[in-house]
Amino acid sequence: MDSVVDEKVLAEIRKGRTFPAFALIGWRWVARNPVATIVPILLPFFFLYFLALITPPEAHLFPLQVVGAMLFTTQNIGSWCLSDSAYWRLEQRLQDMFVASPLGKFQYLFGVAFSNLIPAMPALIILGIILSLVTPVSVTGWLVLAAAIFMVWVLYSAIGIAVSSRLQSQMEVWPVGSLVFTTLGILSPLYYPLTYLAERAPVWAGLARFLPATYAALIVQSALNLPDALPSEGLVDAALLVVSTVVGLVLAMSLYTWREH
Amino acid sequence: MAYSLRWTGMRIFLATETRVQLHEWLAIATGSLVQAALLVFVWVLDPTLLPLTVIGAMVYSVFLIGQRVLNEAAYIRIDHKLNELYHASPMSPESYFLGMSLGILIAYTPPLVVLFAILEFLHPMSFAATGMLVLALLGIWAFSASLGYYISTLFKDMKTIWPYSSLLTNLFGIVPPVFFPLSVLTVRFPWAWVPALLVPTSSATALIEAVAGLQTLSPTEYLVAGGSLAIEAALMLLFGIYWARRTAREV
Repeated sequence: MDSVVDEKVLAEIRKGRTFPAFALIGWRWVARNPVATIVPILLPFFFLYFLALITPPEAHLFPLQVVGAMLFTTQNIGSWCLSDSAYWRLEQRLQDMFVASPLGKFQYLFGVAFSNLIPAMPALIILGIILSLVTPVSVTGWLVLAAAIFMVWVLYSAIGIAVSSRLQSQMEVWPVGSLVFTTLGILSPLYYPLTYLAERAPVWAGLARFLPATYAALIVQSALNLPDALPSEGLVDAALLVVSTVVGLVLAMSLYTWREH
Repeated sequence: MAYSLRWTGMRIFLATETRVQLHEWLAIATGSLVQAALLVFVWVLDPTLLPLTVIGAMVYSVFLIGQRVLNEAAYIRIDHKLNELYHASPMSPESYFLGMSLGILIAYTPPLVVLFAILEFLHPMSFAATGMLVLALLGIWAFSASLGYYISTLFKDMKTIWPYSSLLTNLFGIVPPVFFPLSVLTVRFPWAWVPALLVPTSSATALIEAVAGLQTLSPTEYLVAGGSLAIEAALMLLFGIYWARRTAREV
């Protein structure tokens, strides 16, 4: 009788309430640490403020920079995923409990990414409102923007989780996270058109062509008809973004060690 | 006598802290990434501002060193409880605070040297400008290290500290005219020179840029910038030493 009940309970658990559970974890973080939630999402706004002051007004780059801030914020979720998965594994040994539970690796990793999407949502919503105020955005434009954000979220969360699985100490979390994600953020032309970079540093612009965030930025810039967009390359960029996301996911899944320590 | 400085253990703790920090070469390297991002923005969007932004990056880097003191002091106290061992030793509290702050300054000097080399390439600095640069950076270090040490003593949990450190860095480093010239702000808001020159990071930047001939300050602006930086740095350093003495106890 007991085993029948256990099986029923386990079957119910295995159906999965992963996303609501991890959404709750994300919300708890927001509710308990408002400052810790606000500060990381302020950086794109600080960047926007700085860019608004130094960009020549005749360039009309503000809408493009708002889109860049949205993608940069989403990209940073990867850094938070890195931090959380490393902290839970190294410091709190929580991963051992998750491994011992009916939760699978894929659900766990998506759960970590989902819980970290929650604190980024206010910034994305505010930036979306700003974007709608500074440039007209069609329904297709919003859909392309949402799809690009989704892809960047999946890919960079996967990168964060994959990198975190190789960390040995909590002290490595901040520098490694900063090195990976800020560097990727600098290398991709998110806050200015790729054509500007191509004029100043053609080699760098060529290198940026291999970075998924660049594809995301180019697709959205084309969909919104922003200045210096490259609409002719939209489909290729979209295909490359999808391919890099799938490759990133496969790599993260294969690199992440799912066992008790 | 009670208020005289005691330096017992200063040299050995300075050497220890410098060595500890130099082991974290990755943290030293990644500490310059935000500056690099802002330099790239300027280089792409308005390269004429580049020398000013490099000076801003140096001021920001030194302010960041102070915030490193915040993390280090909290890490030693909260995570390792090592401060109890130090305070039980003959080392004086001011040696503990200043040894840590100076050690971090020494370890984080290489990125500053790189930035100075870039600045020399973009805009050769005169002897007076270099002197002002060194003085202003020391003022920023004194202010930021003391502020960081003070804030570190207010927390009981490492996870809650970093947002405040990050917030302080952005509020002092990116909002005021540090990476961009004061004139960019005063063109839009003519009254803004007063608050801008009262903030230590932007007053230091304005002084260095003015002496280097990159922007013009009126005698009043020189007085406000120089006076506020000197007073804030000195008062904050004295407060840091006082606070180190007051909080030097076993938990």
